[in-house]
Amino acid sequence: MLNDLMNLFTAQSTDILVALREHVLLSVAAIFIAAVIAVPLAIALMKHRRAGEVVLQIAGVIQTIPSLAVLGVLIPFVGIGTVPAIIALVLYAIMPIFQNTYAGLTEIDPNLTEATDAFGFSWPFKLFKIQLPLAMPMILSGLRIATVMVIGTATLAALIGGGGLGTFIMIGIQTNDNAQLLLGAILSALLALIFSWGIKLIGKLSLKKMGILLASLVALGGVYFGGQAIVQPRGTITIAGKLGGEPEILINLYKELIEADNPRLDVKLKPNFGGTTFIYKALKGGDVDVYPEFTGTVLQTLVKGEHVSHQPKQAFDDAKRAIKEQDNLSYLAPMKYQNTYALAVRQADAKKYHLKTTSDLAKMSPQLTAGFDHDFYELKDSYPGMKKAYQLQFNKVTSMSSSLRYKALVNKQIDVTDAYTTDPQLKQYKLVTLKDDKQYFPPFQGAPLVRKAILTKYPSVKKSLARLDGKITNQDMIDMNYQVTVQHKQADKVAHQYLVKHHLLK
Amino acid sequence: MIKFSDVVKTYQEKQVVNKLNLTVASGEFFVLVGPSGSGKTTILKMINRLIEQSAGEILIDDINVNQVDTAKLRKNIGYVLQNIALFPNLTISQNAGILLEAQGVKRDKRETLVNQLLDRVGLPHEQYGSRMPSELSGGEQQRVGIVRALITKPDIILMDEPFSALDPLSRKQLQDLILDLYDELKPTILFVTHDMHEALRLGTRIGVLVNGHLEQVGSPNKIISEPANKTVSSLFDNQRVTLVSDMQSAGLLHPLHSQYPEQTPQLSATQTIQELAMVLREVDQVVIDQQYVVTADDVLQYIGQQ
Repeated sequence: MLNDLMNLFTAQSTDILVALREHVLLSVAAIFIAAVIAVPLAIALMKHRRAGEVVLQIAGVIQTIPSLAVLGVLIPFVGIGTVPAIIALVLYAIMPIFQNTYAGLTEIDPNLTEATDAFGFSWPFKLFKIQLPLAMPMILSGLRIATVMVIGTATLAALIGGGGLGTFIMIGIQTNDNAQLLLGAILSALLALIFSWGIKLIGKLSLKKMGILLASLVALGGVYFGGQAIVQPRGTITIAGKLGGEPEILINLYKELIEADNPRLDVKLKPNFGGTTFIYKALKGGDVDVYPEFTGTVLQTLVKGEHVSHQPKQAFDDAKRAIKEQDNLSYLAPMKYQNTYALAVRQADAKKYHLKTTSDLAKMSPQLTAGFDHDFYELKDSYPGMKKAYQLQFNKVTSMSSSLRYKALVNKQIDVTDAYTTDPQLKQYKLVTLKDDKQYFPPFQGAPLVRKAILTKYPSVKKSLARLDGKITNQDMIDMNYQVTVQHKQADKVAHQYLVKHHLLK
Repeated sequence: MIKFSDVVKTYQEKQVVNKLNLTVASGEFFVLVGPSGSGKTTILKMINRLIEQSAGEILIDDINVNQVDTAKLRKNIGYVLQNIALFPNLTISQNAGILLEAQGVKRDKRETLVNQLLDRVGLPHEQYGSRMPSELSGGEQQRVGIVRALITKPDIILMDEPFSALDPLSRKQLQDLILDLYDELKPTILFVTHDMHEALRLGTRIGVLVNGHLEQVGSPNKIISEPANKTVSSLFDNQRVTLVSDMQSAGLLHPLHSQYPEQTPQLSATQTIQELAMVLREVDQVVIDQQYVVTADDVLQYIGQQ
């Protein structure tokens, strides 16, 4: 495990730095905005106790709303990406900062308050010379609590395309890669510790020095974001991909093809952009212009009331028509490979028993032990249906956690398991998937889903993406997934190699 | 001059100050004395309007305090609190000079004034200036409290039981200090205490307050020799028995013959025997008015004789 982690660390150091930077920017922006709201609010309310209590209650209630729900509610209003992530984080950070600032200011020894009154101090003098410095330890501890919380919660930003260290955690969960998961978790924990320690140090400065520090931070941020806004070129296309290595490879293929044909177009990638529903909303909302989607997913999840054909060609045509009718989106020509369920066996067994198709397996099934992922084992349209269709009669069938099933197969505790047909583990553990010769599973063919407006504006995009029409076999995809997910190579390099090797670049 | 005319203060229908008529002349050291709950602090705080009166008028040099902006009013009135209330986030020098800072006096000038006055009250500025309040004893802190109030040379200084939280020895030292400073600067001082003995020691005039009613106003001698009524005499009767000077009359104070160690605490014959007893718990002997020496045995002997 430690080795995996170290490999990952060296192989993906650029990605890690990018994610770290995103995470820090996201957190710092959220804390800063929250402080700018909460501290003056607490100052304004310190003399109006009843209103102060009401605000405390409201902030407390906001904090009890699960962060995912906040994100969900915000998407229709502010779209996806960094902005809703920051808004959600700000909402969370306000409570501890307000609570502590308010307590720090209202719990000042009444004798000191009487003294400041009796001396006839002006309110700014009283505030900056006495009240804020006295409340400062409490304010800083509020900031520390908020920072630790925000850095932790910011990992959820990955779900809505906000980036950050959460990306590693999401990929880790999705691909059962504990090394990735740990990487994200450890880095965000470290980051929280470092920030908390930094705020402690700031606490030792005088109010004046704190002001200078804050001002320089704001100036720096202004220059950074201002510069970014100016540099931003016109004519950009945003291509997003769902969580995981495979979508990241695909969008890098898209990017390189589009930019090769149209050098003046800038393609922005948003890898690991989240789950299906989310990325689809982003496409409809115009935050994303293109993303690769499977025919099966379009028919089963995105469009309503569509019969799912088990003929790949028919399925694609249905999907293309339905999604255009429903949401006016263009579904371009699909690639060759299918990423669907299949049963997998060890290469040696496949040879020994001459197994090529699932029907071949059915004949041998009484002699074999199977172990399936819990979902696959239980869901009606997975194993139970398949068993009936193929007359599978395994010697013994168990259900196990999906992370264990490949190793169980390699260690010969089981002989058959379920797999996705482009899983890199197939290559890693020398496994073979058997053809679904009765077409029990609906086809899952990948194809670019594009906003109509983009094709009207940049007609060349359609031509560029069409170069992948019928390309990329299952074996190609497994190979590329293997390089990215197991060997931790950069997705853009792997994509480039594929395009060069298959002469798809001019 | 501070003049109260028919001043009344009621809290929730309870009268705490009852038709107060009183004039304190400029340059007077006026002590308001009375048991706790007699309304003396309320009267003090109505002068700088920390508390507003319910009825009547308060005039400072013929100007109604209610017609002056509070900030402006308070700038000319020094204030010393019972709880001292030095700002814990500021050094001794910063605390001492904070009123000058609030008035926008330049740093150099501030430092000169603060250093002078700190030295004057027995806190050498090189040694004390950069310390924090929590590093000082209660008596030292209240010296800073006095410096803080005096630094802007206000015409009026209000002192709300400033020494009642201190140990007897510090109390005596600070009483001496405030008398010295009063002689030197001649401000108008309004001093509140529940300690009859302290009132007698400090006041040029004393006002005796019981249950919000001013029973008698007069010089210390007059109050002792001609108490206006039974209430007043009973308050000060208690005082008489316990003075150190009574031990002197009983011949229990030994004249001082030789040199005494420098750290030997010093008290005055006008202090109470209780205060003497408190000090003698810590040390073997105490010097009285630089003339006599007294030990714990002497005190016990005196009490035995009574």
